Amino acid sequence: MTASHWRQIASVAGLLLAWQVLVHAGRINPLFLPAPLSVLAAMWEMTRSGELPWAVLVSLNRVVQGFVYGAVLGIVLGLLAGAIRWVEDLLDPWVAAVYPIPKSALFPLFLLWFGLGNSSKIVTIAVGVLFLVLVNTITGVRSISPVLLKAARDLGASRLQVFAKVILPGALPNIFTGLRLGAGMALILVFITEIEATKAGLGFLLWEAFQLMDTRHVFVGVVTFGLLGVATTWLLQWLERVTCPWIQRSN
Amino acid sequence: MLLALRDVGKVWPIARTGERVPALEAITLDVAAGEFLILLGPSGCGKSTLLQIIAGLEAPSAGEIRFPSTADGRTGSGKLTSMVFQDYALFPWRTVLGNVVFGPEVNGMPRRERDARAQRLIELVNLKGAEHRYPHELSGGMRQRVALARALANDPQILLFDEPLAALDAQTRRVMQDELLRIWRETGKTFVYVTHSLQEAVLLGTRIVLMTAGPGRIKRVEEVTLPRPRHLTGRAEAEMLDRLDALLGEEVQRGMAS
Repeated sequence: MTASHWRQIASVAGLLLAWQVLVHAGRINPLFLPAPLSVLAAMWEMTRSGELPWAVLVSLNRVVQGFVYGAVLGIVLGLLAGAIRWVEDLLDPWVAAVYPIPKSALFPLFLLWFGLGNSSKIVTIAVGVLFLVLVNTITGVRSISPVLLKAARDLGASRLQVFAKVILPGALPNIFTGLRLGAGMALILVFITEIEATKAGLGFLLWEAFQLMDTRHVFVGVVTFGLLGVATTWLLQWLERVTCPWIQRSN
Repeated sequence: MLLALRDVGKVWPIARTGERVPALEAITLDVAAGEFLILLGPSGCGKSTLLQIIAGLEAPSAGEIRFPSTADGRTGSGKLTSMVFQDYALFPWRTVLGNVVFGPEVNGMPRRERDARAQRLIELVNLKGAEHRYPHELSGGMRQRVALARALANDPQILLFDEPLAALDAQTRRVMQDELLRIWRETGKTFVYVTHSLQEAVLLGTRIVLMTAGPGRIKRVEEVTLPRPRHLTGRAEAEMLDRLDALLGEEVQRGMAS
């Protein structure tokens, strides 16, 4: 533990302590800012009752499905567009048109098309992830030095082998950048899509608590979303270390 | 004879202006088995383009390239050449071993066999112990050894070198020149070696093809019969250097004037 670590711990602990003390002393209205320990207690209650784990499971199911569909489609289309000119020409105008639209603005349309169930939420998340992964994958393919493609061809690689053994691994670092951004986007979108037209999920739990002015439970939702964000970041970092050991070692 | 070039020419179209810039003209050259052939010329004389044409990575605009030892006279399936690139062109996501096995791997050689071959070549280029390192963990000289082993792994008859030592410091370059000679002798392969360094040409080559400034033509072909080991300070070497220096100087000037 370095001095820097201690300062970081002191910063967090100090603020939480001050917060707790101020609420107890009656200087802060718990309706606006419940004490950290009471949030923790609420979290524990909701975990024991099964309410919180169930909400997390419902949301995770939507996030993971949407993320996987969006990521797979984004990677495949991105690799094809990066490697084959006409695929790029077909995709380019759509990317230019849809990429700047906040994907949450598409949710009403998807509700209309895919109904009130899980599908509309999963599609919204998938579309949000898709464009981030797609754009980064294309960048990744472009960043591959042309001399590597030449070397591969010179050594006898077929077009398919160049694709699998040069273009894919060459684009992988940028693909992971897209996946990280996409994971963040998926969490944003799952919250937004769970505000309306659902009776389950972490976003629903948080929003319902807000409407009942139950600030403790709002905080439980916020903290849980934060934990999910940290967990996905760790998971993706681990995956990147395992699949791209050559990058890890350059750090 | 391994390789025959007949009236090979290359023209680069420039899309922006619609111009057609000639890079190579009327290159006629025979390469015999076991040669260490040097393509020497000023920058921009098209010598690297010529190498890419021999490798089949660029198509010639005129003339033909024949490999008389093959059934159909062409390269292609059983490739006869392998290229060593100036900036190594190693796959950063593959270890030393992974880079060296790349050729046999894409050509369908069974794993056990290709690993054994790669291991032998890694020993040949003195990289034993570094098999599992990544390219960014290697020095420039070591990277070029990997590139050489990788090119040898397909067991080509001709190795093509595109200014392989240009990026190295002077000390490492001296060591690598001796290494290239040793490997040339030990493998009995034919080397076609592009350089703009006169010293390198005289130290290494069995024959020097001096090219003109762009468009590249063959200005002079010089047999080098000097005994080895050669030294730049030797009398015969110095005399040859002087003679080629004058010829090369003319072309460098012409290249700058044009």
